[in-house]
Amino acid sequence: MTSVRLAWRYLRGRGVRSLLTTLAVVFGVMLIFGLNGITPTLVEVFNRSLLATAGQVDLRVTSSFNQPFEVTVLQQVARTPGIASASPQVQRTVPLPSDPDRPLADQVTQLIMIGIDPASAAQIRDLTLVRGRALAVADADVAVLSADLAGRLGLSIGDRLTVPSAVGTTGLTVLGLLSPATVPGQETVYLPLSAAQRLFGFGGRITAVEAAFEPGTVREVVEAAVRRAVGEGYDVGGLSTNSSLLASLQVGTFAFTMFGVFALATAGFIIMNSFRAVVAERRREIGMLRAIGARRATITRMFLVESLIQGIIGTGLGIAAGWGMATALFAFMSPLFERLLHQSLGDPVFAPSSWALAIGLGVGVTVAAALLPARAAGRVTPMEAMRPQVGESYQRKVGLRAWLGAAMLLLSVFALTTGISELVGWSAVVFLIGAALTAPAAVSPLADWFGAVIDLAFAREGAIARSNLQRNPGRSAITVTSVMLGLASIVAMLTVVTAVFAGFTSYITRSMSADYLVIPQSIILSQGNVAAGPRLASEVRRAEGIGAVSTLRLAQGRVGGAAVQVIGIDPVGYREVADFEWNNPSTDAALDQLGSGRWLIANGIYASQNGLRVGQQVDLDTPSGPRIYHVAGIGNDYLNAKLSTVYVSQANLARDFAVTADLLVMANRVPGADPTSVTAAMTAIVADYPAFRLYEAAQWRDEQLVTFDSTIIIFYSLIAALALPSLLALVNTLAISVLGRTREIGMLRAVGATRRQIRRMVIAESLLLSLIGTVFGVLAGLWLGYALVSAMSAIGWPMPYSFPWGGIALTAGVGMVFGLLAAFVPARSAARLDVVRALHHE
Amino acid sequence: MSSDPGLATNPATLQTIALSKHYGSGETAVRALDGVDLTLAPGEFVAVMGPSGCGKSTLLNLIGGLDTPTSGSVRLDGQDLNDLGDDKVTELRRRRIGFVFQFFNLIPVLSAVENAALPLTLDGVRDAEARATVWLQRVGLGDRVRNRPDELSGGQQQRVAVARALSTEPALVLADEPTGNLDSRSGAEIAALLQQVAGEWGRSVLMVTHDPRIASYAGRLVLMRDGKIIGDTGLDGTREAARRAMEEADLL
Repeated sequence: MTSVRLAWRYLRGRGVRSLLTTLAVVFGVMLIFGLNGITPTLVEVFNRSLLATAGQVDLRVTSSFNQPFEVTVLQQVARTPGIASASPQVQRTVPLPSDPDRPLADQVTQLIMIGIDPASAAQIRDLTLVRGRALAVADADVAVLSADLAGRLGLSIGDRLTVPSAVGTTGLTVLGLLSPATVPGQETVYLPLSAAQRLFGFGGRITAVEAAFEPGTVREVVEAAVRRAVGEGYDVGGLSTNSSLLASLQVGTFAFTMFGVFALATAGFIIMNSFRAVVAERRREIGMLRAIGARRATITRMFLVESLIQGIIGTGLGIAAGWGMATALFAFMSPLFERLLHQSLGDPVFAPSSWALAIGLGVGVTVAAALLPARAAGRVTPMEAMRPQVGESYQRKVGLRAWLGAAMLLLSVFALTTGISELVGWSAVVFLIGAALTAPAAVSPLADWFGAVIDLAFAREGAIARSNLQRNPGRSAITVTSVMLGLASIVAMLTVVTAVFAGFTSYITRSMSADYLVIPQSIILSQGNVAAGPRLASEVRRAEGIGAVSTLRLAQGRVGGAAVQVIGIDPVGYREVADFEWNNPSTDAALDQLGSGRWLIANGIYASQNGLRVGQQVDLDTPSGPRIYHVAGIGNDYLNAKLSTVYVSQANLARDFAVTADLLVMANRVPGADPTSVTAAMTAIVADYPAFRLYEAAQWRDEQLVTFDSTIIIFYSLIAALALPSLLALVNTLAISVLGRTREIGMLRAVGATRRQIRRMVIAESLLLSLIGTVFGVLAGLWLGYALVSAMSAIGWPMPYSFPWGGIALTAGVGMVFGLLAAFVPARSAARLDVVRALHHE
Repeated sequence: MSSDPGLATNPATLQTIALSKHYGSGETAVRALDGVDLTLAPGEFVAVMGPSGCGKSTLLNLIGGLDTPTSGSVRLDGQDLNDLGDDKVTELRRRRIGFVFQFFNLIPVLSAVENAALPLTLDGVRDAEARATVWLQRVGLGDRVRNRPDELSGGQQQRVAVARALSTEPALVLADEPTGNLDSRSGAEIAALLQQVAGEWGRSVLMVTHDPRIASYAGRLVLMRDGKIIGDTGLDGTREAARRAMEEADLL
């Protein structure tokens, strides 16, 4: 009871100090909670669209190879016990020509065309109309679509919607408008099954069967029965998760989580620092309490209660701030997401686990950080009430810890050399702890070295500032460590972002090195783009001034039950227009091998997921049965860098997958040909294929780089948003360390230091601390960045590491500026101290 | 005057037996306190004087159970402190001893009455503040009950400290240079207050001081040098009594 009241009174009575400590908690919790609201929401957005594509149906049967199949499958499903009704479906994504008159953000670039059987679909799918009428059995070339989509396409009932088809283009009359029940970002158009089959040239075949369960059936049992009924080659259930997006998100989530952990670790250090200062200041009061009969436990409890109250308040405010941060970030990112992914972000979603984590960590770390100082307070002897000991001894254990820290630094170097991705990730963490442990021992010599620099500007005050640091290496080390953590994360994130974008730029220039690209309006690999027959490529080959031409073809295969995208390339022609980004030790020789039998090239992600080596056997399930391939090499091209992909020769693709259509045509000009006339000829050819668009490669690369630039802005603003709290925490720590020396400053004033000298002394000390912290932070950040880039390479996403000179300069600048800012307020208040009051400062 | 430690009918509040405290060992050993026997009867006001380093504060620390002796023992109400653990000593200190320090040592964020009530609240007493208020009125601060330490003068702060020392109705009050941080007028007032504590309210008071004028408020003067008691004499209540005693002991 007493400890609670005392704790509360101290918190209120020492407002500035309490505020600064609490702010540290607020920042830490804000990051953890905010990030936990952001990343799952992003994952959720993607999952939501995937689930919606699967529809609100109980069961969906599709071809494992993304091929149309015979309608007999429908009867097999319908006859299975537990199935109430089944309905056939044809689904294809078609691109729409871009409209130069509309802004990019408003454009609809693709439509998901779903052909349904009006009779049976009504029992499975609920399509709610707002206007017009529903599809009927007798209907031919008609469509219903959501009112929202119709608005964006400028259509109303009775208008014609023109879509690319197997026979050129087809016009569909809009019959009805649906309520906007479908998920944002999915531009879906429903049409009669027969019309869809004609549109895509499927004959009587379908691409999916949707079914509803009888009431009270067990999902697993029915799914297993359906699987037995339809046999091999079909997927039963929802769609397989989109691995590329999830893989990218996992890397992103890891990086963000690391940020949050850093922030909280920083907060922990600050809280500990703050409580150590508080205990040192209150030694005499603690001694008195002990003298008049307070038990050790009472004293310890008092400090713990103080930290608990701050933890609770800080966590509460931090959660509010984190919510605000996530909301603001979403408001900023939403337009970009709508433009790039056609997805609406909505609001951040905070799962119960996010709340639990934020509250647990916020309160837990605060109390844990206060634990050591609180125990130290309990050990203050009552005699201190009579003859207070000045200051506190930090010297013990510094040497031991430094050795331990040095050992950890060595260990992390060793872990990095192993090249094992998990170890590499951990080595970064070990490095940080090692740096934190060596910091107290390193502060003193470093202060001497950097002191010389500071002395240039602050000749006399610099010496006092330096001795202030060295007299209390423990306190200085904590400040240095929190500066280090804050800045290290900035350097590391900048390194990773730079590497990712440098990697993509390099992929683009290598694998998209052809002069002309003819590609579908939006490439959504593995989702059934409209492909072109052999006529397009042969027309391009015959065009005046065109030299080498090569194409990419696409099929779906499975290895050990998992889907993999199979790209068919022409091993000879491919090299003339593009190149692979090879993973060691593969070379162009792998391409030659593709033509000499069933060889494949695996991309990095796929190879690392399955532990593939060159020469290894891969059992590939194809529509014509299982086939044995061998790995010729491991390499990446830009388009498929993030998808599990294998490359085979187009000859093998035709034989095993029966795919001969081109998805993408690449062509080079003959040297010396006039670019303008060649481009004109190409434009004329592509004009007959509305699903395709002609890009001059240079222009295409520029367009991709523009997209990168907008994405990189998102990343930089994220880094800024996340770094700011760490930097405010730095201000906080420095302010606390000045606050803790009020009496000392009063003494200096008493023996004749001028206000100006005091001000300069505080600034010099702050600069010295942030300088040392910046050096530690840059070193740790370089290490962390290198480790993260290596870890990403190890999971099959090779990124060129480039030394972040710009990042270092920026970080050093930021460190110094914040060192000055941090000193500003404390320096002013220190200089204004009333000497007498300061000397009696309790 | 000196009371007989053996009398069961009039037990001493405090008794030290051959109390010693040594720091270090061998050649460099310092005998801060060297075999001190001292007895205080209930209601007795004793001043302890001596040059710096004579062992006054060490004596006070040992009696208050703040420090442990190298040898010898402290008996409070007949209870040997050596027989008690830290928590028991702490409890004894809370209930039977009151402290008055040179630097007041009030908690700056608590009001006068909350400071005075601290030992009681630490003990979980229900009407702690009511009882503390009574003591604040007795020491003449009935109108400053809700003020915080920084709103009080030095003399007033020390009165709060005295009220705090008395709030648990202790048998013994230990005062360590209680006037050392005060001007002479406030110092005299505090000394008079301590006189009242012993004479009127019946506590035993042991006060360490450097100031002979302050010491003369006590009824008995103990003189120390080099960790030993070199003089133990009754005082007649005149302001010059302590100074004369010190001159006789060759301490001035």
